[in-house]
Amino acid sequence: MSVDVSMGIKRTLTVPGCFESLAAIADFIAETGLDAGFDQDTIFHVQMAVDEACSNVIEHAYDWQEPGKINLQCDCQGQEWVVVIHDTGTPFDPALVPEPNLNASLEDIKTGGLGLYFMRQLMDQVEFTFDAEKGNKLRMIKREV
Amino acid sequence: MDQAPIIGSANNTDNEEIHCVAPQGRLDALSVPEFEDDLRSQLSQGSAHIIVNFQDVTYISSSGLRALLTARRIAKNQGGDVKLCQLSLRVYEIFEMVGFTQVFGIYDSLEAAQAAFS
Repeated sequence: MSVDVSMGIKRTLTVPGCFESLAAIADFIAETGLDAGFDQDTIFHVQMAVDEACSNVIEHAYDWQEPGKINLQCDCQGQEWVVVIHDTGTPFDPALVPEPNLNASLEDIKTGGLGLYFMRQLMDQVEFTFDAEKGNKLRMIKREV
Repeated sequence: MDQAPIIGSANNTDNEEIHCVAPQGRLDALSVPEFEDDLRSQLSQGSAHIIVNFQDVTYISSSGLRALLTARRIAKNQGGDVKLCQLSLRVYEIFEMVGFTQVFGIYDSLEAAQAAFS
């Protein structure tokens, strides 16, 4: 079935906040990207950034409580792909995550913060906000070159 | 992930055993613990020479990279190494992004990885 992308594409997905949801999330991103006409490189980069983001939510935001939901919203307009990820877990402050030290000697590389590093490398914009009522919101933008 | 953890072992010219681990599909936060267990299991039995065959791996997340780095540290401490082979371009791109292509020995084929242990 062909998809009319002239008005852009908006898709949403809500899944349980558990690692078993990661494959479905990857499929959702791939399908959305294909329908919006993005190239394979762009789709792969968004898939990876979203996988890392959702893994962080599951591991850290929902680590101590009954897992909640993860809600993903994709808004694709022209060459721009906006992904918004909502969760209602523990507030996340990216400033508390140390940058991975990739310049350390090969034996001493510290890999904490690698997921966040990938997200920032792969996406053009990464913004975290927290609202006491609405929870964590991560907004990432990818622009196809 | 339908993982076939060990696909075989061989010996190098010094008659040291080389173990091969062959994960499949996505190495994401769901499947990495099993992959990590396979690596640890080999290393705890004294195996120091490990090859991870990426032929059937379509994706590796940061948790997979961390597992490999930990396994490499243990292997090095036991006088061995963890070498990788048959990475797809996508998976190689992930390693390259964080400079891990300089950390791990990466080979085009299983045979080349085995030969590198000699």
